Amino acid sequence: MKNSKFLKFSAFDLMSGYSKGEFIVSDVIETVLEYIEINERNLNALITPMYEEARSRAWMLDAALARGEDLGPLFGVPVVIKDNITTDGVRTTCGSRMLENWIPPFSAHVVRCLERAGAVVIGKANMDEFAMGSSTEYSAFGPTLNPWDLSKVPGGSSGGSAASVAAGYAPIALGSDTGGSIRQPAAFCGVYGLKPTYGLVSRYGLVAFASSLDQIGPFARDLKDLALVLQIISEPDDCDATCVRKERPNYLEFLNESSLEGFKVGYLSDYKSLEIDEEVKKAVTEALKICQDAGAEIIEVELPISARYGLPCYYTIAPAEASSSLARFDGVRYGFSVEAEDLQELYQKSRGGGFGPEVKRRILIGTFVLSSSGYETYYLQAQKARQLVVKEFDEVFLKADVLLLPATPTLPFKRGEKILDPVKVYMADLFTIPVNLAGLPGLSMKVSSSSSGLPVGIQLVSKKFCEGDILKTASIIERAVGPATTIMGGDRK
Amino acid sequence: MNEFIPVIGLEIHVQLATKSKMFCSCSTDYIGVKPNSHVCPICLGLPGSLPMINEKAIMYAIRTALAMRCKVNTRTIFHRKHYFYPDLPKAYQISQYDLPLAVDGCLEVSDDDGKTQRIRIQRLHLEEDAGKLVHSTASGRLMGAEYSLVDCNRAGVPLMEIVTHPDIASAKQAREFVSRLRQLVRYLGVSDGDMEAGSLRVDANISIMEPGCEYGEKVEVKNMNSLRALERALEYEYERQKEAKKEGKAIVSETRHWDDGSNITISSRSKEEAEDYRYFPDPDLPPLVVDERVIVQLCKGLPELPWEVLGRFMSDYGLSSDEAEVLTERRDVALLMDELVKEGASIKVASNWIRTEILRVLNERGISAEDLPVQTSEIAGLLLLVDRGDLSTTAAKEVFNLMLEKSINVEEAVKILGLSTGKLTGPELEAVIDKVLSENSDVVEEIRAGKDKKGKKIKFLQGIVMRETKGQADPKEVQSFIMSKI
Repeated sequence: MKNSKFLKFSAFDLMSGYSKGEFIVSDVIETVLEYIEINERNLNALITPMYEEARSRAWMLDAALARGEDLGPLFGVPVVIKDNITTDGVRTTCGSRMLENWIPPFSAHVVRCLERAGAVVIGKANMDEFAMGSSTEYSAFGPTLNPWDLSKVPGGSSGGSAASVAAGYAPIALGSDTGGSIRQPAAFCGVYGLKPTYGLVSRYGLVAFASSLDQIGPFARDLKDLALVLQIISEPDDCDATCVRKERPNYLEFLNESSLEGFKVGYLSDYKSLEIDEEVKKAVTEALKICQDAGAEIIEVELPISARYGLPCYYTIAPAEASSSLARFDGVRYGFSVEAEDLQELYQKSRGGGFGPEVKRRILIGTFVLSSSGYETYYLQAQKARQLVVKEFDEVFLKADVLLLPATPTLPFKRGEKILDPVKVYMADLFTIPVNLAGLPGLSMKVSSSSSGLPVGIQLVSKKFCEGDILKTASIIERAVGPATTIMGGDRK
Repeated sequence: MNEFIPVIGLEIHVQLATKSKMFCSCSTDYIGVKPNSHVCPICLGLPGSLPMINEKAIMYAIRTALAMRCKVNTRTIFHRKHYFYPDLPKAYQISQYDLPLAVDGCLEVSDDDGKTQRIRIQRLHLEEDAGKLVHSTASGRLMGAEYSLVDCNRAGVPLMEIVTHPDIASAKQAREFVSRLRQLVRYLGVSDGDMEAGSLRVDANISIMEPGCEYGEKVEVKNMNSLRALERALEYEYERQKEAKKEGKAIVSETRHWDDGSNITISSRSKEEAEDYRYFPDPDLPPLVVDERVIVQLCKGLPELPWEVLGRFMSDYGLSSDEAEVLTERRDVALLMDELVKEGASIKVASNWIRTEILRVLNERGISAEDLPVQTSEIAGLLLLVDRGDLSTTAAKEVFNLMLEKSINVEEAVKILGLSTGKLTGPELEAVIDKVLSENSDVVEEIRAGKDKKGKKIKFLQGIVMRETKGQADPKEVQSFIMSKI
């Protein structure tokens, strides 16, 4: 394949090439689209590749380039968008039969931000249905495979976004993270994935799973790209009442620091009875060593409440909100609809036929915990537990600046391995879920490769709105271990 | 047997007169508008859309709450209330639950004897309206419809729900309460309060109890589209429950619909199968915090309230309660009264003129007093002429009508009608009288012959003179002239 170098380029590489006149947007987009067409037969990372839209956008941008117009900060950079983020005129399925043919009449705030910056949306990424899952196996459009090892899952629910970036479809993708849906697939696919602080990025246009936990965030192979995208998508928005108005710092500046002198990095010294893969533990130790070498003080922390109550709390609150957010899919106005004799039957058949098993499971749980018989026993208790998790992190962050934790307890698991056991799948989110409950920012990144050649990631967590501290720490680690790489078909084991 | 007394509480939904909807910027106009033309992703509940609170609706609701002396909660929460129905786009309604915008107020109503009764307000909260279903039947009813269509123009229109304590003791009092509340929201300019059009909807809870006993099972009555329907529905329901009790039947706690055609309530849903709404705080809307200073500002900005204006008209203007009632029914009219008095019109004349002429014109044209095409100072000028006896009431009406018709001032109207605003008196009047007497010499003869014992014939002549002079003569002067000439 000619020009396959484009597939390894970062956003900054591409923009530098455009501005020097080394190549034009159409060159890059054509290469990318051709590559996608071939690779999709294996990966299935995209639900809707946007060949036509991407080509015409590339021509438009090239015309602007030729006219010498000001180039946006993401000029001509291909991006992949998770398919629960609306794109005006392009179907947005949420990985569900329910929305298989739904074409939204508006674009999400983040998509508008990226397009204003000059990005080229090249496709809508596969995902677990309505973002419920950790393997992208719960997609109504078939599973996405892990580009590092096709027998493994890419993680989820943003598996399509993570796999796209890892495989070189685009240097950048957007995902959403409700309980780990960015960080876990980023770790499984060996790329950077950031879940920003709750309220930093507008959720307008993100199809809600659980509004109090959902947050949109970027994937990238390069930390600089990641910081740049965060800058662009975190523009305050008056259409989301939970999006904070305060000014955002310049995230790129945090990447220039060479020392962690005076910085405290917390870690869990004792995983108690938790089953953590040895290779994951090793990666955490390695990353801690890098931080220590850079001058950071390494301190032990404990998160007993998060460890004990995090999962049950999350699996009460998230389904509760989901049962509410997904109530609107009733077959009346849009989406999957089955002809019926009466209203009751219309609801039953449309919802029964449009939703997959995991979504139904969570709607049932959520409906129960919000019902008059479950509200006090479950929903209110979970809210109290959530407050305790928040408090626990508040106290930990009095001592530490960032926490360095596993991103997931295991390496990428085999396809079909866990889908039959929901509780095992839920365990995959053990280290990511408390971060959502507390509304904190969290980044996962590849630190090493396992003996089997799979990426092994770690997670960095900081105080609210302190993404800068995470980026600073991550950049020190990146300098030691190198940026994430594109894994192309030929490189695969 | 002891008499049963009705125990009534009301739940009133008031559509707020904001320009845009509760959680989006779509227009709130939905009557006579093309279906689904005032909609957007937010009020259609499309996936990915998020609500934003309309501050104006909050302000309107706080104003109403303050006027009813409610306690306004400075921290209030929006909840989701879930149920499936095709007119509810998100399958939940954004409403309020355990932390409403305001609680614990009251509104006073007076009965026929002028005694006032305080009806306590339990809570006031904000929510969004649902859309409307249009059924394919000729009657517009669901029954027998081949298909139904959804119009979302009304979906998301702000609603203020006001709930009273069960302090209302009769159907008449319920009617009086709603009438007072409607007057209040109109005074405040927060709603047009039109029951027929559905911008003010009343649901009533009614039970009956024997004095000293416990409350009976309560029945919710819906679908009353006018004050009259409300009163009749509650009267009917009271009688129905009383009869049932007397016959030893149990009252079922249920929802009943008022049927305006057949004048009865019909059972529609038993409360036992009541839905579980699964209320929980809407995670898309952080708790709403209202600054104390804003509340103080809104309190200071309240207009003079209807009952305050009524009291002032009685004490300052010396008007009877009936007169004052009519004059203060509408705020625009009460304001006009004040302005006319300020412009020099006499209280008596202004009060009479408003209650007859002005209200007639306003009702005929369906306009408010501010929309009258003549200036208030001109109306005051006209009333001054009436007061001084320079124009008779009859002539003044003609002048007023012409002023309205042509949007001209008093002077011009008087001129066009060929009237003079001075009195017709002295020799000029005498000449007219001489003419009338000579044209009616037969009547004059009869009077002279002493055939006018009851004075009817003199009055007859007097009337002709007044007509001839277009009412510009002083009746007393006319009478004395006629007497002296006969």
